[in-house]
Amino acid sequence: MTWYQNSGKDSDIVLSTRVRLARNLRDFPFPNRLDKNECRKVNETVRDVLLAGDDSLFYTEMSALNSYQAVSLAEKHLISPEFASDSTGRALILSKDEDVSVMLCEEDHVRLQVIYPGLSLKEAFEKAEQLDSKLASSLNIAFDDRIGYLTQCPTNLGTGMRASVMLHLPALSQSTAISRLAATVAKLGLTLRGAYGEGSRPTGDIYQLSNQVTLGISEEAAIQNLQSIAEQIIAQERQARQSLLKDDVFIDKIYRSYGILRSAHMMSCDEFTSLISYVRIGACAGLLDVPVEKLTYLLVKMQPATINADAGEKYTSAQRDVIRADAVKKALE
Amino acid sequence: MLCQNCSKREATTHIKRVVNGEATEAHLCQECAAKLGYDNFFDNFSLNLPDIFSSFFGDSARALAGSRTDRCEKCGCSFDDIVKTGMVGCADCYDKFFDKLLPSIQRIHGRTRHVGSVPAEQLTETTATEKKEETAEEKIASLEAEMKKAIDAQNFEQAAVLRDKIKELKEDK
Ligand SMILES: [Zn+2]
Ligand SMILES: [Zn+2]
Repeated sequence: MTWYQNSGKDSDIVLSTRVRLARNLRDFPFPNRLDKNECRKVNETVRDVLLAGDDSLFYTEMSALNSYQAVSLAEKHLISPEFASDSTGRALILSKDEDVSVMLCEEDHVRLQVIYPGLSLKEAFEKAEQLDSKLASSLNIAFDDRIGYLTQCPTNLGTGMRASVMLHLPALSQSTAISRLAATVAKLGLTLRGAYGEGSRPTGDIYQLSNQVTLGISEEAAIQNLQSIAEQIIAQERQARQSLLKDDVFIDKIYRSYGILRSAHMMSCDEFTSLISYVRIGACAGLLDVPVEKLTYLLVKMQPATINADAGEKYTSAQRDVIRADAVKKALE
Repeated sequence: MLCQNCSKREATTHIKRVVNGEATEAHLCQECAAKLGYDNFFDNFSLNLPDIFSSFFGDSARALAGSRTDRCEKCGCSFDDIVKTGMVGCADCYDKFFDKLLPSIQRIHGRTRHVGSVPAEQLTETTATEKKEETAEEKIASLEAEMKKAIDAQNFEQAAVLRDKIKELKEDK
């Protein structure tokens, strides 16, 4: 099952956990210095190693996907928007459950990602490590004793690891707590920012907490750091929700949101994302009888490019708004 | 081009993002990019304009870039190219331009020494060299002990032979 069909530890607040590793092959220049054919050589070399004896993985050149299919993968957080925007020389390895995705010839030769539902940093890191050793056992990986894994951009030197957790923080977003939190975690080498939309208050109050520094800190220490900060934020959010749920105005918002989602004829993605945020708190608090994984599933599946990719159609924005409203209505019936 | 967010400052940051089902580009100034949360290089965007990248390397690095003819033998990249694009050409470039890159690496990470994992292959390699160093060290230590004994016994001829052996080993290291 994919991360968005499932729930995990602390799923009332944590949607997903990701661990990404940047790796490069020593024998090839970095992607900015490769032409299309050399990229293909890199891609196929990595493919042959990772796919050997593993039939859960499959390989595709990005040029084989249309733009909706590519952007949909970014909406599902399986690849970066940058990777979706340009297919030249690029290929993707994806597992059937979509928990493993490997971007080939993005900013580095290999960007390996493991994504799991809920808070599961250790498990995701272990899986990533396992794939990483498979790479290192057959390939000459660019590494330097002094500065660690060598990457095209010096910002990723060292472990080349970015771990992140996607958090739903509607209660902390109601107050100024969230901006104070962002400043605090920055001092601890982490970043907290909106996962959808931008500006001071991201759509749906979904945030991403990730490690920033990759050099001079071990993978285990970085993961441990992220884990303990995530746990503190989770505790704060739960506490803030408790006081919010004593407020009749807020409870009214939850039921109204649920009502609109179950009756509207047209629904933009932004409106949908903010309404489902309220429904999610209601469901986690036991006010609404909706499984939380159903809400995660809708959140991902109702993204614009994903609607088009799933239908194999090039719907306009207005057409999608009708389709979205209809699908949400049916799902929450 | 002016920043699409504030329309005041020059846009130096080139961001790829997904908006309404499409991967689109945004041109932002550095401040707005940071304000909007685009400061995680690994994650959701890439910066393509050389300006912002080279700002990592600072003015001192740009001054260092002077010698344009000095190129990485493997990929042909010069330090100037790295400063201009913010992208390193290949693994060998890190060796070639290590001293020039180090101040920038320090600026980005605050630290300059890797303490995390080592690739499986390299692990055996490093242990092998470490072993080699240890045995050389051990050998020198035991020879020095022998030499001391020879001197104590006033066997200066043997001590001289041993001294030469030690010297040789030390130079080999
Ligand atoms: Zn601006
Ligand atoms: Zn080079």
